[in-house]
Amino acid sequence: MLPELPPALVLWLGAAALPLVPRRLRPAVFPLFPLAALALVWALPEGVLWSVDYLGFRLVPLEVDRMSRLFGAIFTLIGVLGGVYALHVRDTGQQAAALLYGGGALAVTFAGDYLSLFLGWEVMAVASAALVWAARTPEASAAGRRYILVHLFGGSLLLAGIALQVAATGSLALAPFSPGASAAAWLVLAGVALNAALPPLHAWLPDAYPRATVTGAVFLSAYTTKTSVYVLATLFAGWDVLIPLGVIMALYGVVYAVLANDIREILAYHIISQVGYMVAAVGIGTELALNGAAAHAFSHILYKALLFMGAGVVIQTTGRSKLTRLGGFAKRQRLAVALYMIGAFSISGFPLFNGFISKAVIVSAAGKSGHTAAMVLLILASVGTFLHTGLKLPYFTWFGRDRGIVPAPAPRNMLAAMAGVAALCILYGVAPGLLYGILPFPMAYRPYTVPHLAETAQILVFTFVAFWLLREKLAGEDRIALDTDWFYRKGAPVADRLVVGGVNRVFSACDALANRSARALADRVRDLTARGIRRAPVGASLALTLLVLILAAVLAMVGA
Amino acid sequence: MTRTRWIALGLVAAGSVLAQAFGPHPPYARWWDLVPGSYALFGFLGCVAIVVVSKRLGKALLQRPEDYYDAS
Repeated sequence: MLPELPPALVLWLGAAALPLVPRRLRPAVFPLFPLAALALVWALPEGVLWSVDYLGFRLVPLEVDRMSRLFGAIFTLIGVLGGVYALHVRDTGQQAAALLYGGGALAVTFAGDYLSLFLGWEVMAVASAALVWAARTPEASAAGRRYILVHLFGGSLLLAGIALQVAATGSLALAPFSPGASAAAWLVLAGVALNAALPPLHAWLPDAYPRATVTGAVFLSAYTTKTSVYVLATLFAGWDVLIPLGVIMALYGVVYAVLANDIREILAYHIISQVGYMVAAVGIGTELALNGAAAHAFSHILYKALLFMGAGVVIQTTGRSKLTRLGGFAKRQRLAVALYMIGAFSISGFPLFNGFISKAVIVSAAGKSGHTAAMVLLILASVGTFLHTGLKLPYFTWFGRDRGIVPAPAPRNMLAAMAGVAALCILYGVAPGLLYGILPFPMAYRPYTVPHLAETAQILVFTFVAFWLLREKLAGEDRIALDTDWFYRKGAPVADRLVVGGVNRVFSACDALANRSARALADRVRDLTARGIRRAPVGASLALTLLVLILAAVLAMVGA
Repeated sequence: MTRTRWIALGLVAAGSVLAQAFGPHPPYARWWDLVPGSYALFGFLGCVAIVVVSKRLGKALLQRPEDYYDAS
């Protein structure tokens, strides 16, 4: 019998305990914590399991339902496999950050009130930034700084929304917002949308993920955006506005993936694209659509981790990450290519792979609820998905022009982790009932029908034909594509002058003024001393002032 | 791409078009579900459109040299 503890605590305990374990054993001990959390997630009964009254508010750090259990299970599962992938890494800071980060995601998932949610949210922001910084390159350092600033901004939007909500309702309880309800709802939505990487609030993702550590990027690809999908599904189901926004996301990622040259940047833009499906599904808001969002989040975490793992193997073994510097070494890295392709087939929605069984649910839900345009555009986005992650990236990374690359052997644990995730991608693709059975709502959906298979086969074959004809056009270019981070990257010096520089000048002026006054006062006191008063009671008067202030504050609190 | 692979692809394509033409239609079928090969055309044109539109956007508006942000 497992104790009814928040699963987040298990990972946070791990982060605290890891430095106490002998250094050599740390990587091996790491996966045990998410494994224990997974067992706990599975064993917890449904309902409010832990609540405390604090300052007149009811905090619920642990509430379990079918949706949160599903997300909690996949978060911990990928934590285990990500840990196996990182078994060769000797970097305690990074491992602790990954555990803190995963714990943050679990804290959000099982939160029953806004304060617990917000706590997990901010832990995620800080811990995930550490996974970017851990790469210890100048680019990663700068990108991590932009990343944390953007996320703290998102967090403050969320906090402002929460404050308004609490002011209006007097309660911290998480309850679904009715569409367009209030300013509080819109602020919370903006804060959550930023973490979901919804354009134009998305640029942190393709900016930071390609610069993170090889092993850290696997965790990054799993937690932040999917936690947001969970919160969106909990609070904003049926908000129509999310349908067009989700469709835009799905296509936005596709367009930028055409232009991207860095392999993890291509994958990063396809996170945005895939999360777009989930956001649109939340907007549709029917039981089928919400099941689709949850199922696709589950599938996506698996195949996207696998893709990032494959890209990580390339970076780890060649030291290169750009298509323009890769190519022609597939024969020297067969296993990694094969395992990557399982992830690529999955994300592209090939039958018998897990993307097929979850993406189809969302597309069908769009069709059944009469959102024909959204349905067609989501199918178009899936053409782009196959084009990039299934064709462009592997073709120009491993095939294409031979640049005489001889990759170092990949650590076995990396390939073992990839094999584990790949096996799950196939398992759920072959046996969709395993996933459908744990979705939030009862599910009678059948993905393997003749028309659906015929549709998918035609699209995939002819996407390939078009790719083959146009493949020269798709080769990487040594150029970057401007995205919305342009505004803050180019605007930073201006903002610095306006916000930081100005404030600093005010502070130094005040500083100078205070110094001058103090000196003047001191001079007077010296005069007094000279006149026979041995010690001026400056300390006593300061203490008195402080005491009065504290009394006033206490009175105000008691009075309120 | 070897000849055999192209033939295999051709067979899959032909099979899927035949399945669409003579097999059951999906519930909530739209008009294009009744046109055999509609999704093949959609896949092909969609792919071409994605490449052309994105590249145009890149050339006209978005692409910069790699050291763009370092330069300032």
